[in-house]
Amino acid sequence: MSLRKLLHSTTIADKVLFSLLLLLSLSGIFLIKAFVPEGHTVVIELDNKPVYLLPLDKDGIVSVDGPLGKTTVEIKDNSVRIQDSPCRNKLCVRQGWIKTGALVCLPNRVVVTIDRGRETGNTIDAVTG
Amino acid sequence: MLSQDKYRIALLSAYAVGLHGLESLLPSPVPWLKFGLANIITLITLMLYGFRPAIMVTLIRVLISSLFTGTFPGPAFLLSLGGGVVSTLAMATALSAFRGLFSAVGLSLIGAFFHNMTQLFLAYFLLIRRIEPILFITPLIMLLGTLTGLVNGTVSELVIRHIKKSAITDPASGTG
Repeated sequence: MSLRKLLHSTTIADKVLFSLLLLLSLSGIFLIKAFVPEGHTVVIELDNKPVYLLPLDKDGIVSVDGPLGKTTVEIKDNSVRIQDSPCRNKLCVRQGWIKTGALVCLPNRVVVTIDRGRETGNTIDAVTG
Repeated sequence: MLSQDKYRIALLSAYAVGLHGLESLLPSPVPWLKFGLANIITLITLMLYGFRPAIMVTLIRVLISSLFTGTFPGPAFLLSLGGGVVSTLAMATALSAFRGLFSAVGLSLIGAFFHNMTQLFLAYFLLIRRIEPILFITPLIMLLGTLTGLVNGTVSELVIRHIKKSAITDPASGTG
């Protein structure tokens, strides 16, 4: 059974269908990225309790009052940073802008994380078949 | 139903369960990428013996596989059932409505597409209930389904030819 013989047995409708599906899925990947917001959430926690839930795509500055004083968090261009902190070593400020992961200021008990799908906490973890 | 049909359905269902089990052992680079090898058996059954044996084989395969893997009767079982039934219906419709228009490859692509769309739809209602992740994953799953559908269709075409050829040269061996 040669491959050419097999290719011959596929119909024109097969080929049209295949190209259509390929085109549709490939363009869909780009279109959906462009049109649907990704829905990342910035979570600011103080003493392990969430105090702010903010959308990552809205720029703004908020501050939280920790045990040492005000920690200022800035959101801009889908990135987050700790702009200012009353802690001594300022490791959190030096971490700079992040797009994923977390910023931590242990002395002032502030943790900033970027989260996706926080509302339900659901992920696709079922094994289907 | 003839007893010969029953043997055929039993044998084909056993193949389908076997392939399904084998597939679950294969390491997958993406967690939701599955090859859908059992669809090869459904498609062969449909093209050689018709719709009723094909839907029987699908139902038996889904039920037995879910009992083996322990997903019965959870959402994963419902996803599997819905995908299997809808894709078999879609392939049967395409086969009878446009006879001769599609080969096994085209039918396999149709089956894969409907399987995935049904599963995404059910996943939305049963598991996730948020539209954004579903929308994000849809074209990606469609792309993967098109590729695996192409491979499965090609394999089905080869097997069907082989069975037809051996049935012509040796009429006694035409049991599938």
